[in-house]
Amino acid sequence: MNFIQKSIRVTLISFLIYGALVATHEGEYWPFSIYPMFSQAGNPWTRALVRDITYVPDSLIWETTDLSSLQGEPVSMRKIGVDQIDYSNFVSKTKSWNEERIAALRTMLGEDYFVSSDWMIYKVKGKLIGNDSVSVAYIPYLMFSHDSTSFNPNFERSEYFQQ
Amino acid sequence: MNIAHLIKENLYGGNDELSSAQVVYFKIFEFFVLYNVIQLSWYWGLYTLKITDIVLPLGIATIIDISFMHGNNLPLINAGLISILTVLAFFRKGPSWIYMVVFVLLHFQYVARFSIGEIPHSANLPGMALFSFAVGLIVFKESVHRYRFILGFTIFYIGLGYFSASMSKLIGTGPTWVDGRHLWLWIAEKGTDILSREGTFDYTIVQNIALNSIPAATLMLFVGIFTEFIGPLIWFRKTRPYITLALVGMHFGVMMSMNIRFDAFMMELLLIGMPWPEWYERYKSTITGWFTDPNKIPV
Repeated sequence: MNFIQKSIRVTLISFLIYGALVATHEGEYWPFSIYPMFSQAGNPWTRALVRDITYVPDSLIWETTDLSSLQGEPVSMRKIGVDQIDYSNFVSKTKSWNEERIAALRTMLGEDYFVSSDWMIYKVKGKLIGNDSVSVAYIPYLMFSHDSTSFNPNFERSEYFQQ
Repeated sequence: MNIAHLIKENLYGGNDELSSAQVVYFKIFEFFVLYNVIQLSWYWGLYTLKITDIVLPLGIATIIDISFMHGNNLPLINAGLISILTVLAFFRKGPSWIYMVVFVLLHFQYVARFSIGEIPHSANLPGMALFSFAVGLIVFKESVHRYRFILGFTIFYIGLGYFSASMSKLIGTGPTWVDGRHLWLWIAEKGTDILSREGTFDYTIVQNIALNSIPAATLMLFVGIFTEFIGPLIWFRKTRPYITLALVGMHFGVMMSMNIRFDAFMMELLLIGMPWPEWYERYKSTITGWFTDPNKIPV
């Protein structure tokens, strides 16, 4: 077998392994990938951000709002050393907010911050409206205070403990 | 000449001996891979120390419980091991399968780091290049065969990756994927990520153009998916430099329109997509002439 024949054979074998791994793992088996990101266009999305609401009146903290009316001060993920995509996916993909999951998020953000500050975890939901606009809603979701975590009282408990 | 033969010759064909320029070029490319592997192993390892829970297991973590990498210093030990083994492999010290061990260890590092929801792709090309070295060094013993195989194999998977990205979009959404309003939705999504990361957010010029014109936004998406679709043209030597520039341009456009950076992708594309050794051979006398006789430099 000459060099090119051997190269092609190795390429085909690797391609079979590549294909088997991505086919059985939803297109992703690092570094093998079919690059499926952005394949589903137009779907609503959910992201997350944090605001420091220490000085926001209690009557306002649980209101769903838009960007211009967001309460509190921004908390930069970069400044606190947290990967924004990690944080956002952690919040948006968690279905059941049990004690372990809440503790993991508090640890990720940094428990020390909550000694003197109250932080609100916002879910941010975007979707296309009609033919010519995008709506983005900022939904207060979890409040981290010293030694306590609060759920949004406007939501049913099932919102936090989905199957 | 049929298409299969053309692809074979363009990916794996070449001279029977390596020129000194090719040797230097090959080691520069390998150093690029070495740098990325070591940098990623520590970057991921240090961040993994913050992780205490698994939200979305990836890769091998779907089969085995990767939590043994959390809550201890194993990610740092793994990064140290990867660093030492990568340097040994770079200097060809030890058995030919060291890069394969590094590849497996780096996969563990990746799945330990990315187990909480994010599926990033920014390190995929360096990862695939590492895979090329891992396979190439095991299968081939002669330098010239390793050179031709590793570069050809890397280029094959780059072309395949871009093509599969375009097909994913066509299968996932269909031809309407290019509708400019989809870009609006992504701009809002990525803008939210920037707002959360930095605390503030401003639209770029490209984003403003897209948000003010559906046809402009549609054109941007069309150019993006079309460039991905013709990605396999990188398999052919004649079209390789042009498609490389187009892909780099596409990544630059993605950065401007969606705030997503693919620095390592762009660097690897420029490294591997351009005929650097051939250019060096062609212009060697001109370049060296500038140093030996500065009067030849056009002023």
